[in-house]
Amino acid sequence: MNVTCKDRDRIFENGTEADWAALEAHAATCMPCAEELRAWKSLSLAAAELRDYTESPALWRRIHHALTEQAAASQQRRERWSWRFLFANLSLSWQTAVATAFVVVLMISAGWLLRPTKQPPIQQGSLLKSKALIEVEHAESAYVQAIDKLAVEAKPQLENSATPLMSNYREKLLVLDSAIDDLRAQTGQNPSNAHLRYQLLAMYQEKQRTLQDILEEKR
Amino acid sequence: MGIMGLALAWETKILPAVQRERRVEPFREQIAAPDKAAEAGRVEDAALAAACRCGDVHAYERLYSLHGARMKNLARNILGSPTDAEDAVQETFLKVQRGIASFRGQSSFVTWTFRILVNTCYDARRSRLRKKEVAADDEQQRNDAAPRPEPHAPVAHPALRLALERALAKLTRHQRDVFLLYEVEGFHHAEISAMLEISEAASKNTLFQAKKNLRQMLEPPRASNVAGAR
Repeated sequence: MNVTCKDRDRIFENGTEADWAALEAHAATCMPCAEELRAWKSLSLAAAELRDYTESPALWRRIHHALTEQAAASQQRRERWSWRFLFANLSLSWQTAVATAFVVVLMISAGWLLRPTKQPPIQQGSLLKSKALIEVEHAESAYVQAIDKLAVEAKPQLENSATPLMSNYREKLLVLDSAIDDLRAQTGQNPSNAHLRYQLLAMYQEKQRTLQDILEEKR
Repeated sequence: MGIMGLALAWETKILPAVQRERRVEPFREQIAAPDKAAEAGRVEDAALAAACRCGDVHAYERLYSLHGARMKNLARNILGSPTDAEDAVQETFLKVQRGIASFRGQSSFVTWTFRILVNTCYDARRSRLRKKEVAADDEQQRNDAAPRPEPHAPVAHPALRLALERALAKLTRHQRDVFLLYEVEGFHHAEISAMLEISEAASKNTLFQAKKNLRQMLEPPRASNVAGAR
């Protein structure tokens, strides 16, 4: 391998064994390179002056002491937070009692978490509670029966009279009956809805008034 | 330029040493080649790490006996004081003990330990600088904080050592670290790259720059420059 003065820095930085051998060969005939090579190697040799490997047994004793102290402190920290350390100070009966109490608390907690959840009571005022609903349905049924009795009484008057007033009453009753049927269908789907119940009541009251008016006309 | 080009008279004195321990870069790379010794070293390194992880103090003693002197030497060269170096080595061992659980073996255990040592040394340097800045407000304190000559082991060429230490102090941190780890402590570029978290190529380039700079600093004024100055 042939090297020139230009290769010198490259070899100093990252030369292979072959590069160094070639540089040595080149330096034999090149004075500047020979000087550079010697100076370069001399720096490595001079670095040996910075080596001072004298024994210092006292240092190891210091280190050993510090390591032992640190290990003990670390162990103490670990033990302070160890459950095992907490249990070690308790007698077997106390350990059993603590374990039992823990299991009981665990079971109660689990029972509380897993209890069957009921639907929360509906707070909305427009919805009727079940007991109130039964009462309303009873009252409504009685009211409907009473109105039906009125309707039976008013039926001859409505059918036999051909006056325009009676015709109007007939039409009005048909409209009211239609509205009552619609509202009853809606309350059947949503029986707890008080608003629908009030509307239905209003329709029944109107029907009652209409039938009373018809009967008054008869008198 | 003179024969060596370096400003010191040590050049001629160390010539016998050149003949005694000839150590040129390519031969070091040969040492790095995988062989049975390297494999045995890796096994021992892993065993040492495992024993340290188990909290075995004897493992730390083994680590100290194998690398303690080199650790202390590196710390002394970075910090400039044997006392601070001993503190840094002790702190490194404590950090190794604290952090051994987090060591995953990406690098060798020894490399990891030296990385901790280098970082600890620079932490100590920063801490020392801060203390000096605070002390600078007080003239008396500044006098107290002035660098004192630290006792060194007797060396063959004290003037050379002093010159090198001064020149090293002028290098950048990375250049100084790489020079100390490669040239003084004898680590390979692969190990240095793991310690300093740089690439191997960067380690080689940094060493090249460091040696170039050191050479310029240690070079005597050229005859033409001296004449020009006059």
